Amino acid sequence: MPIIETVHLCHRYADGTQGLNDVSLSFSQGELAVIAGANGSGKTTLLKHIIGLLVPQSGLVTVGGQSVQKDPMAARQQVGMVFQDADSQIIGDTVYDDTAFGPENLALDRAQIDRRVNRALAAVGLSGLEDKKPHHLSGGEKRRLAIAGVLAMAPRVLLMDEPFSNLDFPATCRVLEQILDLHQNGHTIIITTHDLEKIVAHAQRLVIMAKGRVVRDGIPAAVIRAVDRYGIRPPCSVQLGRGIRPWVS
Amino acid sequence: MGELSAIGFSPGRSPLHRLDPRTKQALLMGLSLVSFWGGLPFLLLASATMVALFHAAGLRLGQVLRETRYFLFFLGLVFAIRTVTLSHGWIPSVSGGSAGEALTICWRLLLMVGMGLLLMATTRTADIRAALAWYLKPVPFVDQTMAATMVGLLVRLLPLILLQASELSDALRARGIQRRKNPLVRLERFTMPLFRRVFLSADELVAAMQARCYSNHRTTPDLAFTWRDGLALGVGTLLGLTVLLP
Repeated sequence: MPIIETVHLCHRYADGTQGLNDVSLSFSQGELAVIAGANGSGKTTLLKHIIGLLVPQSGLVTVGGQSVQKDPMAARQQVGMVFQDADSQIIGDTVYDDTAFGPENLALDRAQIDRRVNRALAAVGLSGLEDKKPHHLSGGEKRRLAIAGVLAMAPRVLLMDEPFSNLDFPATCRVLEQILDLHQNGHTIIITTHDLEKIVAHAQRLVIMAKGRVVRDGIPAAVIRAVDRYGIRPPCSVQLGRGIRPWVS
Repeated sequence: MGELSAIGFSPGRSPLHRLDPRTKQALLMGLSLVSFWGGLPFLLLASATMVALFHAAGLRLGQVLRETRYFLFFLGLVFAIRTVTLSHGWIPSVSGGSAGEALTICWRLLLMVGMGLLLMATTRTADIRAALAWYLKPVPFVDQTMAATMVGLLVRLLPLILLQASELSDALRARGIQRRKNPLVRLERFTMPLFRRVFLSADELVAAMQARCYSNHRTTPDLAFTWRDGLALGVGTLLGLTVLLP
């Protein structure tokens, strides 16, 4: 049984823009999938439906076989989302508070919250910064804090919306490392991006979206040659005819 | 982000940081209330205490004054309105008595705002929320969790709004807004995008909270009243009693 499934999902925004148009996808446990598309192709709208922040006009979204629309809280306990703008995701006054926000919402006891926070911060390499103000962290650290905030809720699936945007080279490498570690540890990871270069070599599946529709879906090697037709820049190695290569060794 | 607003929680281990948030809220409410009757001895003592506490909490007074400059302009306006009178022939005049009275009013307002800033700077938003819910619990017909959450969100959004206002102001100046002489046009160019950004940020914040399973039934911080709180309340009461001094 797929862990996430969307069936004929449609969504139209209040201004008439068709955000999603008949999107049917399913993701398996442990998969690392990349959803690519130009700006406005519907990537973020799709993620917001999976986590129940948007309600479909027609169609269905299920997480673990349960309808997200019927029980969004149950879906959010299984699926964590890292937003594109890490600043907008910061809720706590300190790194500790921000990481503890999710477990506190799950009404866990304080000892359990402390354990989860310590484990999540260690996993993203932010141990020792518990008392720091999140807004004083660097861009890469904020992104890792956003990941820690989600990890502390122990989700089965991680949705990441443009996880490499606005990051410099070292921060991008660090976030990429974290993503690959999480995947190795058994998390299902779905990443949306318009920049395939960094992640596509590690993905098992590449989905291309355009104008709210899924236009390509398959293994990256089969799909990658078609991406420039949809406003996505192919990785340099592909442009040079060397196939898909890891971005960093 | 180094220039981020000084208004908001600043982690630390000062005596104020270590107080129970209920004690700090009680002191804020009590001292704000008595300051309405406070004369020169109370105002001097309370101000000196406040400056010392700002220092102990690691807040730079200069930065706090800079951050509250719009409120200081407002105080200046209050002072001017209460002091300057227009006599025959529309000639402005200032009387010593009314100036003293206006100064006292402005000083009291400044003191209240200063105490509020101290509370915000030394208390986590979650603690403010928990203490407020504790105070509101016995009040009938009030959903204390919801009320506390609303205050908590306001405290959380305030520094963000100030930061966005500062960024917007810089962006407008970079595009020569100062060449516009009409203050109404300048106000419109400033407020409309600011409102739009604030509402968008509020939306994003709510989405982020929902994505992390936010509900009213969550683990709240442990509140503990210790000897420090007793001492602080005692000192606060003594300070409050100075309003009785002539």
